[in-house]
Amino acid sequence: MHRLKTLLSTRLKGCAALLALLAMSGVAHAQEAAETANRWGLGEPASDYGYRFTDLFWFITLLVGISFVLVLILIAIPVIRDRARPGHKASFDHGSSLHDKQVTTVISVITFIVLDAWVLVIAMQDLREAYWAIPEADQEGVYQVEVLAQQWSWNFRTPGIDGEFGTADDILSNSELVVPVGRPVSFQMTSKDVIHALFLPEMRMKKDVNPGDINTSWFQATRAGDFTILCAELCGYAHYQMHGKLTVLEEDTFNEWEREASKLALTAFDPEDTESQWAWDWEQ
Amino acid sequence: MSGDHIHPEPTSFLSKYVFSHDHKVIAKQFMWFGLVWLGIGGIMAMMIRWQLAHPGDPIPAIGMFLFPRTDGVLDPATYNTLFTMHGTIMIFLGLTPLMIGAFGNWCIPLMIGARDMIFPLLNMLSFWTVFLGGCVGLYSLFVPLGANEAGWTSYATLSTTIGAQGHGETLWAVAVFLIGASSIMGGINYMTTIIRLRAPGMTWGKLPLTVWALFLTSVLNVLFIPVIGSAMILLFLDRAVGTSFFTPASLMQGGGGGDPILYQHLFWIFGHPEVYILILPAWGFVCDLLSFFARKPAFGYRTSVGAMVAVTVLSAVVYGHHMFTTGLSPMLGESFMLLTMIISVPAEILFFNWLHTLWKGNLRLEVPMLWAIGVIFVFGLGGLTGIYLATIGTDIFLHDTYFVVGHFHLTMAASALFGTFGALTFWFPKMFGRRMNQTLGKIHFWGTIVPLTFVFCLMFAMGYSGMPRRYFDHTSAEWLADLQHMNVMATHAALLLGAFQLVFVYNFIKSRWWGPAAETNPWEVGTLDWTMPTPVPYYNFKEIPTVHTGPHEFSHPALGDDRDWIPMTEKLPG
Amino acid sequence: MRAAALNLPREDDKTKVNMTLGMIFFVGSWAMAFGSIFLSFLVLRQRVGVWPPEGIALPSMPMATVATVVLLASSVLLHVAVKRGEREAGGVQSLWLGGIALAVGFAALQSWLWLDLMAAGRFHTSGLYESLFYGLTWIHAVHVVIGLLSLVWASVGLKTGRYGSHRLSTVSNIAIFWHFVDVVWIVLFLGFFVF
Repeated sequence: MHRLKTLLSTRLKGCAALLALLAMSGVAHAQEAAETANRWGLGEPASDYGYRFTDLFWFITLLVGISFVLVLILIAIPVIRDRARPGHKASFDHGSSLHDKQVTTVISVITFIVLDAWVLVIAMQDLREAYWAIPEADQEGVYQVEVLAQQWSWNFRTPGIDGEFGTADDILSNSELVVPVGRPVSFQMTSKDVIHALFLPEMRMKKDVNPGDINTSWFQATRAGDFTILCAELCGYAHYQMHGKLTVLEEDTFNEWEREASKLALTAFDPEDTESQWAWDWEQ
Repeated sequence: MSGDHIHPEPTSFLSKYVFSHDHKVIAKQFMWFGLVWLGIGGIMAMMIRWQLAHPGDPIPAIGMFLFPRTDGVLDPATYNTLFTMHGTIMIFLGLTPLMIGAFGNWCIPLMIGARDMIFPLLNMLSFWTVFLGGCVGLYSLFVPLGANEAGWTSYATLSTTIGAQGHGETLWAVAVFLIGASSIMGGINYMTTIIRLRAPGMTWGKLPLTVWALFLTSVLNVLFIPVIGSAMILLFLDRAVGTSFFTPASLMQGGGGGDPILYQHLFWIFGHPEVYILILPAWGFVCDLLSFFARKPAFGYRTSVGAMVAVTVLSAVVYGHHMFTTGLSPMLGESFMLLTMIISVPAEILFFNWLHTLWKGNLRLEVPMLWAIGVIFVFGLGGLTGIYLATIGTDIFLHDTYFVVGHFHLTMAASALFGTFGALTFWFPKMFGRRMNQTLGKIHFWGTIVPLTFVFCLMFAMGYSGMPRRYFDHTSAEWLADLQHMNVMATHAALLLGAFQLVFVYNFIKSRWWGPAAETNPWEVGTLDWTMPTPVPYYNFKEIPTVHTGPHEFSHPALGDDRDWIPMTEKLPG
Repeated sequence: MRAAALNLPREDDKTKVNMTLGMIFFVGSWAMAFGSIFLSFLVLRQRVGVWPPEGIALPSMPMATVATVVLLASSVLLHVAVKRGEREAGGVQSLWLGGIALAVGFAALQSWLWLDLMAAGRFHTSGLYESLFYGLTWIHAVHVVIGLLSLVWASVGLKTGRYGSHRLSTVSNIAIFWHFVDVVWIVLFLGFFVF
């Protein structure tokens, strides 16, 4: 008991001091920056499949947390109980008996099932039902967006009210994307130069955007509002500045917006401007 | 060359200390080389953390000296260079020369009972090749348009002339190629030495696990470094002469095009085995150190070897988990997910064996043992967070966020580093004939593990909150600006972590030249290296020993009460 | 230097095994390098719909075939030389020199292949096919040069007595390296001219 006390006192005192130092400095600076809210974690997702990420994340955390606490206990017990002292001997055991091998096998199988297999099954469901379930082009209500990434901004193109890409009323925008709520938004994306990645954190969507290739992704917004667009693949020195605004509008507001934007695009269309005519045929 | 005869002693300064063929001298060359580069990489990390917490503020003390043109403030391009070179340096010029070059060289011949490596000239060339690679890398920092800015992964087309002009990236490819060549030379040497020069009685079943681990590391080196070698050649050709292996047709005039994703495949076919190359030596050290300091056999020797072999074999088929958001076919993606989860099983087995080695031991909590237990802690934590990244459902969000950075720093950087500190503090008395200060060693240990855990666990929170990696400034996007408090906390902890490394530097240098003399076998360990006198003569063994006992027969009942260990050259009584 | 002047001890069996084992690992390593380059070739090739691309000048198949035969012949001569050395039969040096001569012949034919293609206006910057053709054959060529230099080094050693029936490992390993260069060429030949 006395042994335990001395052990705990010096070691833990040191660690506690270090942690206190760190925490205090953090708090001090946090108070300094009190104008911005200090966010920990994520807000509510704004897409219909968004809940899947946080659900799976916390499920894994439960499993991982229990495992890690177990590991800590299994380290702590021998460190405290089995320390070298006069008269104390180690228990001689190579751990190579058949029994040991059987126990190892059983523990490994159980660990795999609990930590991996279970999670694997949930993940495969998420992938097939949501992340990889890209809506077909002819699906009811799909809103199609073509994305051309470049160093260092996002170019978006939607087909306009005629519903076809490559026509004069295509709505072009840079760094801002307007989409309707409650309809699947389907992306086809490519890059002009280097690899980028379209990251919509509140929608929980992320996909690489590669030059010379077309990648697809999708999401469906559950509420209106302004959201963030970020780049999630190093693309040069202004990678950190390659962000944008995603605006989700209620159905009526969106329809009105689309009409106006299409009309504007028609009048602004310049057949000489070849650079802005980057549309491609939407593949099935 | 076959190790049977004793060759004449080298006499000139050059042949003794510069172009030595003696594995022990070469080991020390690799060691100093690795330690210096580790320091350089560490300083780069401090600068990265400074910028993240205080965007736009000049770097204190060294800023004005390093970046005079911007008054000590980092600009985005320089920042990108810093994290690129930090990764490159730590992996290729720090940990690899240290764990594999230094300890591979020191431990293998001495532990197997050989006079030297089987190809001593190749050994010497291996050091000077990595040295040359380091020179090329260093030189690349000073070219007009700057060094590589494309991340240590250097994906095409950011790394081709589309994304990177100037010589920095090209020189980087050359440096990586040279460093890789050095590893291949070492790998061939280590494998052949271990197969051919084991002393009589030193069966595969009696090899210290350090040697087993280094053997498997060498297998991976010999097989997979050539893959990144070929990626570097193709990248070099694309950049230097205008071929288009990685440039797609849409960005070229005429002809068919190359494929940037091909680069990623080549890189990660190498890259995943590479992380096992970096961790296997640490695993080997830990297996042995835990046994040595728990005064108990390494639990499940054969299962541990089997686990390491399984990991080695599987390491090549899991690489796609780095590419889940690239646009791989769903079938491929799911296969990689499953295989990645499977490869965690042998690692878990090894982990359980470690815990079981501690269980009911007689634990001597000396500094090397603290580091070994430290590895159990950080590798356990880091390894468990791998599950989030192996699972595509969570990886989609966490990819390219700080979650990944936290994960690989714990599993790869911290675990390998702690293993290295364990090895350094353990073999120091035999290498230099002196003792390191134990109190300073313990201060260094606690001053490292606490801030380090804090920094990288914070990164899990950062990643979960959506903070992308490789950003110069997280306050530029509004949604990320309210995560800035985490950056500040992490930086403080990182600076503390950096400061405590100075304790090690002081301890190491002071003890090296002015430390108290060490006994021949201060740790009371039975492996052949500890049967040597200190300093170890240039020929190691006057007579090649015969091995009778295993390396981990601690507290064997037949040993009685007055000792709990037995040299491998002795027979167990009874 | 006379053969007798270099009085080097006879190589023992252990050393032979050691050298051979080291060489096997070295070749294994290089096979992985060329394997991944060839894998890249296959991946890139299947992205192109028509192979070889239509309407462009291609490297000369007849010349490449002759080059392949010459290269194979050089390997055969070197192999026979090593075998004779092991049996301590004569003619090792002349066979070896013959192998070198054919190797040089291959290098010349290879250069002709490039010059011929360049004369037709196709350079390494012309497109994917050329990137692959020039790129891969240049990488191969580097190894041809290294191989040639090693072959010459070995022939000097054979002449001075440094290498000979009593110490053959280095020579035999250099020959193995040349055979490897040969095999890589055959794979390239099959990839560009046959399939």
